[in-house]
Amino acid sequence: MAMTAKIEGMEDISEMLTALEEEAQKAAAAGLYDGAGVMADELEKGVESIKTAPFKYTKFGQRLPSPEEKEAIKGAIGVAKFDRNGTEVNTSVGFGNAGYADVAGKQKAVAQVANAINSGTSFMTKQPFFRRGASAGAKAAEAAIIKTIEQRLDEKNLK
Amino acid sequence: MPSEYEALVAALKLTDIPFAEYAWRSRPEGTYGVVSLDFESEQLEGDGVKCDRAWSASVDVFFSRLSERDDLISTVEEILTEICGDSWELNSTQYENSTGLFHIEWVCTVQDGGDA
Repeated sequence: MAMTAKIEGMEDISEMLTALEEEAQKAAAAGLYDGAGVMADELEKGVESIKTAPFKYTKFGQRLPSPEEKEAIKGAIGVAKFDRNGTEVNTSVGFGNAGYADVAGKQKAVAQVANAINSGTSFMTKQPFFRRGASAGAKAAEAAIIKTIEQRLDEKNLK
Repeated sequence: MPSEYEALVAALKLTDIPFAEYAWRSRPEGTYGVVSLDFESEQLEGDGVKCDRAWSASVDVFFSRLSERDDLISTVEEILTEICGDSWELNSTQYENSTGLFHIEWVCTVQDGGDA
């Protein structure tokens, strides 16, 4: 005689697990949304800290970014569309979708202007505002993500 | 000044690439480099207590001939590995239309009182 044990109610458990996964993804996305906001604010503070000087052509020396270049990247930091894979949610914060801006009569890619200021060029000393902001914002963003996820899970009694 | 940064500057200045700290007063002809201590980056924590300090530094190399690229990269990266271990990365590579120069930037984390 074959020895079998029948387990019933798997359909219910499966539905519960699916619901749990959906809640986990929603909580993760909500957490990431808040964390990305914290990071974007920190990076925007970095933009504010950029030192500028009116544009001056120097053959061999160094110059500071012009006020127009700073203006072009101000408020241009954005959060990328969320990439979801199961309970994993990813995004990035930066100038990726910032497009073009008018800088002293020329259309320039905002990301390129930001990169030139952050990393410097042969004629402009670097001001690593982005790296500094990302470093300063990392812990605060992580804390915001955890706080939101915990709140969401608390609300759903899933903790 | 973090001792690892001082060791990094000293090692880079021993190479064939002319290196200056922070900026050149006037841009040199040909290949050259810049090394900078940029900001205090993070705290290395142990049991929730701040036990060490770390800074973010960067190394930039500007050059015009692509044939130089591989040698320049290995020279800089060998020094970074020797002094910073795994705590460095290639941050950006750019080409400047206006000057015809290639620009490679590495960033690294340096500490004080390390083995360097």
